Amino acid sequence: MSAANVAAAPGASLPAERARRITRRRLTGLIGHAYVWLVLIVFVLPFLTLLGYSVSGPGGTYAVQNFQYVLGSFGDNLWWSFRVSGLTLVINVLVALPAAYGIVRYSFPGKRLLFSALTLPLYVPGAVIGISLVLVYNFSYHLTTSIWGLVLAMAVGTFPLMLTPIVVALRDLPVSFEEAAACLGATRWQTYWRVVFPLIGPGVSAGLMLSFIIVFNEYLVTLFVHPPSITTGPLRVFNLVRTAGLAPTTAALAVTMQVISFAAVLVFFRVFGTRYLKGTYLI
Amino acid sequence: MSTVRLSRVSKRYGTTVAVHDLDLDVADGEFVTLLGPSGCGKTTTLRMIAGLIEPSAGRIRFDDEDVTYLQPRARNIGFVFQSPALFPHLSVARNIAFGLSVKGVRREAIDKRVEEMLALVGLAGYGERMPSQLSGGQQQRVALARVLATDPRVLLFDEPLSALDRNLRDTLKYSILELQRRTGKTAIYVTHDQSEAFAISDRIVVMNAGRAEQVGTQTEIYLRPETPFVAEFIGATNALEGRIAAIDGAGEEARARVEVGGLEIRSRFRPGMTVGDRVLVYLRPENLVVVQDGQEDRFENVVEGDIERVIFEGPTAQLRVAIAGRELRADVSGGERLTFIEGRGRVRLGFNEVTLIAAPEAPAPVVEPAVTA
Repeated sequence: MSAANVAAAPGASLPAERARRITRRRLTGLIGHAYVWLVLIVFVLPFLTLLGYSVSGPGGTYAVQNFQYVLGSFGDNLWWSFRVSGLTLVINVLVALPAAYGIVRYSFPGKRLLFSALTLPLYVPGAVIGISLVLVYNFSYHLTTSIWGLVLAMAVGTFPLMLTPIVVALRDLPVSFEEAAACLGATRWQTYWRVVFPLIGPGVSAGLMLSFIIVFNEYLVTLFVHPPSITTGPLRVFNLVRTAGLAPTTAALAVTMQVISFAAVLVFFRVFGTRYLKGTYLI
Repeated sequence: MSTVRLSRVSKRYGTTVAVHDLDLDVADGEFVTLLGPSGCGKTTTLRMIAGLIEPSAGRIRFDDEDVTYLQPRARNIGFVFQSPALFPHLSVARNIAFGLSVKGVRREAIDKRVEEMLALVGLAGYGERMPSQLSGGQQQRVALARVLATDPRVLLFDEPLSALDRNLRDTLKYSILELQRRTGKTAIYVTHDQSEAFAISDRIVVMNAGRAEQVGTQTEIYLRPETPFVAEFIGATNALEGRIAAIDGAGEEARARVEVGGLEIRSRFRPGMTVGDRVLVYLRPENLVVVQDGQEDRFENVVEGDIERVIFEGPTAQLRVAIAGRELRADVSGGERLTFIEGRGRVRLGFNEVTLIAAPEAPAPVVEPAVTA
């Protein structure tokens, strides 16, 4: 409407003015697109290169058998990664749910301090966590030969990633749902299971996804605390690169881990969107 | 169905007193409304009755059972919140079934009860919908069905209509009343909206600053307010301060002559009031009548002043009249209101109904001074 009004008024000089405006808009659009593509290239190119390398065979041919290698010889390493991730997630959920509930629903002295302390592992370098845990395990718990040492280390490191999205989800959940359930005669447990947990499900899933990706791909802390008998996927990749150089089969293992992580993220985003990742350092 | 009795119930938060020594008796099947401005303690009181807040002192009884420290789930109450608080992940039917299913009632019995409840609130056939697919009014009906399904002893309402738009509020408040009448449940209703309270209550408790100022029926509260707060909070009124200058006559015919800065107002007075007492004088705008020539003897009091301005409100018009240095509001209705649209000139106001309330020790009427809306 306003464009038509303006066009009617000053007459002849207008087409030139409009052309200039369109040119400027095109230029801005062009620069915008170029920037997006640049970002894509910088960030995605390494992965594509890795993918290409993982299917390369001797003499420049394609070799899908690299991936058969992953399931065969490296299957054990992936299996360890899955087991460590799974156990870590279980422990994290069991600890984080009541912790988040306590933090959100009750007030107690030092609450902010406690929450900050619980999220501390996010800001501590992996090497520091690794060394501290080695010390603790060696001298206090004698956990150095069991998978539980590794699992506990992972749980400590990723606990904030589990806790934060649950805290966010609980804060978004009005207390009146719980009060309504209580007034309708539900016990505490019934209220948790039938009302609270289903409604904070997306938050819990966000925590699960974040923790899974981190634990599944964790290398540094694993290096410090893993027992000699356990070699996870990332550890195997690093060992192979160190001893045998960069072989296409190793690249195939790395790609497989990448795909598994991507799949976890994609599934989560398809089901829940990005809302519940607020407050974590990913978004 | 049962009676509810609060004896000297208090709630303190640190040094703040939210509810102070509240006594309240609600009869079986009665509809009682707690009415007051925000922060007066009405919601706190309701939540203590529900068990969502523990009182600092006092006792709450349902019939003869002391429920003061009982968990909400053990009280068998129906609480309707301001937001419907329907569980968003459950269908309408499963929301209504919630209270029964947590008690382990058999599936067939639940299904039957859910159908009954849906029919009762006029939403038969809506069982499979999700709460998000319903309008605000429908959601509140489902919330009502959900609490009625458990056959509660007491229905508690915490401003259930305040989030809805005006037309819906008007229809839904009568639905609530009708459902309460039909089920015969004792109901306690919290609101800050006078018209809501007046429309649906058997009795109204006017609350202010954690205390019950007055408990009574609509007419008692409106026509015979007992405290300055009630007189000024309920409806509109002209508030004046004065002193009893003399008392004429005795018995039924006794009248106080109240001196209000240059005016003298004759009025009935309360037992105990004597010459020299400071009193607050309340005149309802609808009781101030424009006096035509020759009608003077119909009124005990006639005052004269200039019309300052006229506020036309549709069915009524407010005349703001300057009398003895203060502005009085008189509401005129019918054809008469049209004669004042020009809004200038001198006018005489006559009135018979006057409310006298002993002035509190501390000066100052409680809400806003002079004319309250």
